[in-house]
Order: sequence, then C-alpha cells, then structure tokens
Amino acid sequence: MSFRTKLFLIFLITVLTSVSLVAYGVTHYTQAAFEELDAQRTEALVSQFKKEFAQRGEEVVHQVENIANAEITLRMALDLARPSADPSLYVHDATGAAQDHGLDFVEFVNADGTLISSAQYPARVGYKSDWVTSAKDWKESTAFLKKEELPDDVALSLTVVRTLPVGDKNFYIIGGRRLDQNFLASLVLPAGMRTLLYRNVEPGFVASALTDPNGEAAQADRFAPIIEQIQRSPEPVVQTVNWSTNPANAETFHAIPLPGRNNELLGVLLVGSSRRELVSLTEHIFQIAGVVAGAALLVGLLVSLWVAARITRPVEELADGARDVAAGHWDTHIRVRGRDEIGQLAGAFNEMTHTLAEQKERLVQTERVAAWRELARRLAHELRNPLFPMQITVENLQRARQLETKQFMEVFNESTATLRAELANLNAIVGRFSDFAKMPTPHFSRVNVNEALREVMRLFEAQFHEVGKPIITPEFFLAEPPPEIDADAEMLHRAFQNLVLNALDAMPAGGTLAMRTAEHNGNVRIEVADTGKGLTPEECSRLFTPYYTTKSQGTGLGLAIVQSVVSDHHGTISVVSEEGRGATFRIELPQRQTGAPVDVNGVAASAQTAAADLPKPPIAVA
Amino acid sequence: MRYIALRWFVDARALCAVAAIIFAGGASHHASAATQPRYGGTLVMELHAPALVLDPLKWKAGAPESAASEQIAAAVFDRLVTLDRFGRFKPGLATDWSHDEGWRRWQFSLRAGVQFSDGSALSSADVAGALQELLAGGVVVMASGTRVVLQFAAAMPDLLEQLASGRYFIFRRKPDGTLLGTGAFFVSEFTPAASGTSISRYRLSSNEKCWAGRPFVDGLEVNLGVPALRQLFDLQLGKADVVEISPDLVRRAEQEKLRVWASVPVLLYALQVSAGEGVTPRAGAGKADLREALSLALDRATMANVLLQRQAEPAASFLPQWLSGYAFVFGTENNVERAKEIARTLFGASSAGQPLKLRVDAGGDLAKLIGDRVAINARQAGISVQLQTHGAVRDGLASGAGSSAKTGEAPALRLIAWRYSSLSERAELDAITSSLQLEAVGGEPGIADAEQTYVRERRLLTERGLIPLVIMPEYIGLGAGVRDWMPERWGERHLADVWLDGKSSGSERVQP
Repeated sequence: MSFRTKLFLIFLITVLTSVSLVAYGVTHYTQAAFEELDAQRTEALVSQFKKEFAQRGEEVVHQVENIANAEITLRMALDLARPSADPSLYVHDATGAAQDHGLDFVEFVNADGTLISSAQYPARVGYKSDWVTSAKDWKESTAFLKKEELPDDVALSLTVVRTLPVGDKNFYIIGGRRLDQNFLASLVLPAGMRTLLYRNVEPGFVASALTDPNGEAAQADRFAPIIEQIQRSPEPVVQTVNWSTNPANAETFHAIPLPGRNNELLGVLLVGSSRRELVSLTEHIFQIAGVVAGAALLVGLLVSLWVAARITRPVEELADGARDVAAGHWDTHIRVRGRDEIGQLAGAFNEMTHTLAEQKERLVQTERVAAWRELARRLAHELRNPLFPMQITVENLQRARQLETKQFMEVFNESTATLRAELANLNAIVGRFSDFAKMPTPHFSRVNVNEALREVMRLFEAQFHEVGKPIITPEFFLAEPPPEIDADAEMLHRAFQNLVLNALDAMPAGGTLAMRTAEHNGNVRIEVADTGKGLTPEECSRLFTPYYTTKSQGTGLGLAIVQSVVSDHHGTISVVSEEGRGATFRIELPQRQTGAPVDVNGVAASAQTAAADLPKPPIAVA
Repeated sequence: MRYIALRWFVDARALCAVAAIIFAGGASHHASAATQPRYGGTLVMELHAPALVLDPLKWKAGAPESAASEQIAAAVFDRLVTLDRFGRFKPGLATDWSHDEGWRRWQFSLRAGVQFSDGSALSSADVAGALQELLAGGVVVMASGTRVVLQFAAAMPDLLEQLASGRYFIFRRKPDGTLLGTGAFFVSEFTPAASGTSISRYRLSSNEKCWAGRPFVDGLEVNLGVPALRQLFDLQLGKADVVEISPDLVRRAEQEKLRVWASVPVLLYALQVSAGEGVTPRAGAGKADLREALSLALDRATMANVLLQRQAEPAASFLPQWLSGYAFVFGTENNVERAKEIARTLFGASSAGQPLKLRVDAGGDLAKLIGDRVAINARQAGISVQLQTHGAVRDGLASGAGSSAKTGEAPALRLIAWRYSSLSERAELDAITSSLQLEAVGGEPGIADAEQTYVRERRLLTERGLIPLVIMPEYIGLGAGVRDWMPERWGERHLADVWLDGKSSGSERVQP
C-alpha cells in the first residue's frame, strides 16, 4: 500500500470518524431534546387531566349539594325520620334525582345507614351502607374515587357524599359520576394522545377491565406488566409499548395510580403518547444528518485526496529518486518544493546524490587507474617473460657474429627458433587478453546442468588419476530430476571448466572435488567445492577482480570470466571459504531467462555439442 | 265443583274490598255524571305486549305476553260457560250441561241462533272442532245436533273451571288460518308499526249480530308495544282509555289521581333451581339443598314491600291463595344464618369459584330488579349468583328449554314470571310442569281433590326446585270516560259492557 493511499485512508478515517461523531452527537442530543419535549407535553396532559378530574369532582359536589338542597329531598328526609315512615315510597327517587342532576350514581341513605333508594343498583335497597355513617363529617369533603358495585358490573365512580341534618340525625345523599369510556372520551386530548382507564377490581390483571374511549381496549394484555407493577407498588410508571416492529407505532404510556378514599388502588389511568411524530421527526433529522454527513464525507474524500497528493508528491519524488539511485543513476536530482521538512529532505537528497556521483566518479577513476596499473603490471609481467629470453637470444646472436659461420649458423638457428617460440608465446598472451575483451553475447538454450557438470569432470578425469601426482577424488551431489536452465551451453562449460581448474590449482596435495546442484525458488544452485588450502577474507573480496591472481602462473582472468558468464546469465556467484578448509563457489542461476530469445527445441546434450553446433567467438579458459 | 264457587265467594270478598277501595277513588265522583249507558265511541286501549296473537293454540301457558292476547280474545270469542265474580258458572255458548257419575262424559247443549262475525251460524261441529284442538289428548269430542259430547279417558271434575277460563274459546278456523268468533267484536283492521316506532294497532269493530247483543262502544282500538310510562302519560293526556300500569308506576298513578283497577294477584315471579347433582363441590348435594339455602336467604318481604312498593305480596306457594285456598300453609321463612350454614356445606368455607348463573327469562325491568335482589340475597348467604338477562325471552316459559340450548350452558337458576290463566288448579299445575319441562309430580290425574293438589304443589316446590318469590295483581288504568268497567277478578275483561261517557268519546280524541 502506497504512502499516498495510507495517508488518504488516514485522512478518510479521520473525516469519517469526525463526521460520524458530529452526526451522532447532533441526532442524539436532538432526539433527547424531543424526548424531553414529549415528556413535558405528556406531563402537561397529565396535569390537565388532574385539573379536569378535580373539576369533575367539583361538578359532582355541586350537583350532590343541589340534590341535598332540593325540597323533595328535604321532605323525604323529614318523612323518613318519622318512626312509622314507609321507605318504599322513595325507592325510585334516586333514579329521578340522578336523571334530573345529570349524575350516573345517586343513593339516599337513612340515618342508620339503610339504603333507601339507589339509582344504580335499586335491588340493594334495604341494605346497610355503613361506610357512609362511619365517617363523622362529610360537610366539606371533596370528591373521591369509589368502587361502585352494579348489578352486573363494578364501576369506578367520582363520588361525593353530603348530609342533610334532620334533628340530631343525618340523611345521606351520595352522588357520583362514572369513570368510564365516556369520561375518557370527554377529555380533550391533542392529536397522537389517548387515555385508557383500568378498573382495579380484582387482584392481578384483567384484560376486560381496561377501557379506552371506544370501549374495551384492544391488545389489553400488552398493558399487563404496567398494571401489575402499579398493583405491586402504586407509583406512577412511564413505559413504552411497541405495538409492532415499526418504532413509529410505539406509544409511551404514563400510568397514574388512582387511589380511593382509604388510599386503596382503585384504578390506573394510562395516558398514551404516540411516538410516531417523534420517530418521524427523528428520522427526518437522521436523513438530514445523513445527507450532511455524506456531503461532508465526499468533500473530505476529495480534500483528503488533494492533501494526500500534495503531501506525498515530494515523498514520491524522493522515492523515485532513491529508486533511480539504486538503479545506478547516481546523479539523480529531484525538485525541491518549499522549505518544510520534505523540502529540506529533497535538498539533502540532491546533495547526497551529487556527493555520491562525485565519489562514484572518483572511485571509478581510481579503480580504472588501479585496473590499468594492474593490467600494465600483468601485461608487463606477461610480456617480460618472453621478452627477456628474446633479449638474451638477440644478444647471443650479436655475439655469435664473431663466430665461425658454422657455429654462427648453429647459434643463429637456435636463436631464431627461440625467438619464434617466444613470439608465439607473446602472440598467445595477446590473444588471451583479446579474447577476454571480446566476451560474446550468450545464446540461450535449454541446458541440463547435471550433464554439463559431468562433462566438465570427464575432461579432467585423466588428471585426477595421473600417475605420480596426488589423487583428486570427484564427488557428485546432483539434484533429481536434473534441473534445466536457459543458458549458453558453451559459456557455461567454460565457466565450470575455469572453476574446476581453479579447484585443481588449490589442491596441489590432492583432495576432494565436490559438485552439487539444487533447485530453489525458480533458481538452480550450483556449488563447486574443493578441500584445498582455502582463501583469506581479503582474497575472497578480490577474487573476481580481473587480472587478480594468487597463483604465480595465472593471468587473473579465470574467475573474472566465470563472473562475466554468470552475470550474462543474470545470476550471482559467491565464494565461501576458510583458510585451510577449502573453498566453495556457489552459483545461482535463474531457470528461465525472460526478455531474451531461448531455443527450446532441444536440450543441449553437452556443452561441447552445443559449442560445435553454434558458431561462437572463442572463449578463454584462464 | 261446588266447593270452588264457595271458595271463590269467600276469597273474593277480601280481594274485592282491596280493589274496591282503589277503584272507589276514581269511580265515586263519576257515579253521578252518567248513570245511563250510552252507545258509541271507540275504546282506546294500550298494551305493552308487542304483538297480538288471537289464535289460542299459539298461546304459551303462563306467559304474561299471552295473557294480553287472551284479554283481547275474550272480546272476539265466547266460551261455552263462564264464571261470575261469585264463582258461579253461567251459560255462555252452552245453555246447559251435564256429566256422568264418573266425570268422564260431558254433554253441552248449545245456544240457538248464535252467529259468527261473518254472519254464518255456529254449529255443534264448530264447537267440537275447536274443543278438539284446544283440549289435550285423551278426549273424544262429538257433535250431535245442537249438542256436543266430550268423552274423556280420565275423570274431569274441573272441566267447567277449565272451560270457563284460559284459552278455551270457541272459534271457527277459516281456510286461510284466521279465526272467526262469535264475540262482541271482530278484527277489522291491522296497522303494523311504522318505521321508527314499535307501536302497531288493531281496530276491532262491534259485532252487530252478537248473540249477547251489540256492545256499547262502536269499536276497540288496541295499540300494541306501548312503553309503560308512555301509557301512563297517554292516560293522563286522555289519549287512551284503558292502559296497563306496571307496579312501579301504581303509586305515581295514584298520586296523579288516576283511576286504577287491580285484579287479584295473577302474576307470580318465581325462581327455578335447575341445577342438579354436581352443581356444588360437595358430593351428594344438589337441588334440594340449594333450593333450601336460597329459599331461606331470600327476603321476600323486602322485595314485595320495598322494592315493589307494596304492590306485590310475598309468595310461598305456586298457586295463589284465591285459587287454591291453602297458600297460607306455605311459609316464607327468611333465615340468612341457616342459609349460610347450608351454603357452607354446599360450597365449603370459601365461596365457590364459579358463580351460579341466574337467567332472567322474564322480560322487563321488574324481572331484572327482582333478579338483582335474588343475587344480593344469595350473596348475603354466601352463594355467588351471576345474573344473565335474555332480552329475547319474550316467548315466556315455553321457550325455556330452547333458550338454554341457545346459550350452550344450562343456567343453575332461572327467574320466571307466571301469569295464571286457568281457574283449574290441576290445569295450572299441569301447565307449569309442562312449561318448565319438569318431571311429573304424581297424583292421580283428573282428581281435583284439594289435598292431592296440595301434595302435588308441595312436591313441585320441594322436589322440582321451584321457589315462589312474589305475586302481584294486574293493574289497569282507566280513563275518566270509561264506565262499567267490570272485569272478572282474575282479569278477564267484559269489554262489551263498557261504555264511554259522552264528552270523552273515543272518536273525539287525538289518536296516538
């Protein structure tokens, strides 16, 4: 992953995180604010209900007092105070009073608690209502909630009791208004809100006891947990009921316990607020936040791209420059942008490459001089060997002019023969140098590496067992199946030949010469190991330098040729050696040569065959 | 047969006194207004019953709704014999009668010259045909000249009481199913209820060819399905001459100085314990124990005197005192503590989980009120009772079994209303047994012996689980112009004798 991509992703993640956090914060706090508003609205409604409840109570008080103050009630009370009164005369009076005063429940109770007349439950006439007489004073009492038994039902009533004193006794007038669906329907509610009333007439939750303005509430069982919680602990409860998987269909209910005169739980009022509006509003905010976040992300994306490009361009130029340097373009120069750290880095890079180029130039010149010196030394050394006998021969020839003709001719013939021999030697020396200078371009074909090694070893087989000389033992550790590589068979043969010669020179007292091959990651590894005297680290470092040799008769071109061949095959060569423990030359060659023509029609059986078939320039064996 | 006349005479005296006192208030000041009957006018009657069924075969015994039809039918049809207010049998369509010693063969001589309302003559075949339809099985009716002979399989000593009351009218069935009568009136017009109202109307015209003579009024207008309170208002406003007054409105009518006529107690409210074995948790406990507990728990006196404002009497027997003469033998003990004890044995220390279902078969607010009171009284004794009202139970007792089937669950208790229609105790006992689909309570059929009737009734109460609650009279409100309103004590009208005072003749009134 490029630096630009990394930087872009970092910017993008940063922008994404920031936008997400902002969007979440906005929506969360907005939603919380709406929830708060909704709660306040519901609280207001609950407060309104309580006021209305109190107002209805006042109305009932007013109507009951009207009944108590009516002349017909006074007459009834006076008549019933007589010992011989006939209460049956007034059995239906409560019904009339209820109709006249718009009340649902009216009862007249005698001083001893006997029910004289009941509008809601006429059949109870004659029974005692001791709860009325047990209270000392009903005069200033307000309306209270009461469980009203009816012939076929139990209702909740907003009840008021007033007394009519007759002598030292009281005549009781009980009036009430039913809390039912009509009462709920009479409440003025804003849109999206509704009320339900639960009559707590039995222990546990009873679905039929829950009514809404339309009658028995639908899906009443869903309210069971709320009701049961209030039955356990009569405290207000706020709970949300999800009617479906769609959150817009949910409702938040404020459940208010309705206690009776003795604080017993008689009912529960549920004020429900639909969450549809809230959810709709929240969704709208989410949509806006989504659009804004998307736009911010898009802008952030573009800005990130621009910023990343702006920041990484100098770094990329630096990287390109570094790659150029690595590729050998030591004089690479990059553009300096600005004076920030990146600009300073670019300037330093330019200085570095400039310095490197200069040093390289100096090193090249130095090496070139050294090479020329070495070449001159070697050339002088090589040329001096035949020149000295030639000088002696010429001097002998000059001196022989004074001899007799016969003797002179003998000397002359001998001298010319010597001169011809040394001139031939000179010619050979010059030829070797010429051959090295003219290393040919490799011509690739499929080569069996194992066979190539065996062929080279066969050439030297006679030398390994030459009488009077120390014995060299060849060993083969070759990979199976035989690895094949794209190589110039003749050049490879020469390289192997030079390595074997080098190994033989290193083992004047005999030893073991091991050949190893192995395949590794598309490469073929070839090792030529001897058990000779080994090399010093300094010798190892200079071993492949042309014309460098540790031998008295060597030209210093053998391993240089090997390295040249290996390099032409895009491979590497190295040496591992410890002084006195022999040396191992390791060649790594790629199995396939890409970008170069390869003759794949046939595998070269041997380097000699290949060499015979192909017209090649001569290759030197040092 | 003779004892009943005496009994009627003795019993009627006391009841007469009560009715006379009520009636006197309204009648006294009119006595001097018009002493000579006059013809003309239409007597406007209003009834609560929604429909009029003039075919006696379709009446359901004991049903209050059928009683209304019977009252109107008495103006259209005649009986073979009738009974006067002193309990004496009088000739009707039969001028004389006789029977054999075994009370099995009865022979009636028919009145000559009697015509139906269409002018055709009444024949013995008509009488035989009607009686053959009306009398239960076990009788062979034969027509012979002007005589009709009835041959029963069993003794029928109370045949005259039976024929003088109830559904035993003489009629001729026409091919279209309608009936022709020989009475003082005939149906001339029927106006069904208009949309938006429940009131339908029958018009009956006077039968000029009636053998007993033309009635005083020209016709009757019978409005059906009129609510009780509206009837009262119509009477006050002079829109109606004869109305029914429900017991809870009697006091109001009296306070309004309206003329109110009361019959002897003819309407019984009773509780039927239908539950049998298994209704209570206790093994072996059943109807008898439950009946006893309920009977002891019921406060009939309060029901009659307070709830029904003294317009009813506590009832302990099925047959009323005026009919049986021995009703006082049955007690109306109210012992809640004893009832509680029995209830505890039935339901255990705690009240039974499932309340007993009390179905109110009788219609109207009064029945509902009584049912509520029964439930309260039962609850006081530890018996949980739940009321079930059936608005559709207008068919009376005969629909009882069918209604139970409709609900799918037989109620443990039923509140019934029974309107006496026969002057034969045996016939009433047979009718209630049949209507409630009770197992027969034994007794020798055909023997109208008072002691045996008493035994049958006691077994009906104790073994068949019937608990009488209250019995009440029929109240009729009379307009100021109605004269000679002299129905029988048990409620049978003689509308042909009624005449209207001139100033308030029906023809001058605003029609409802």
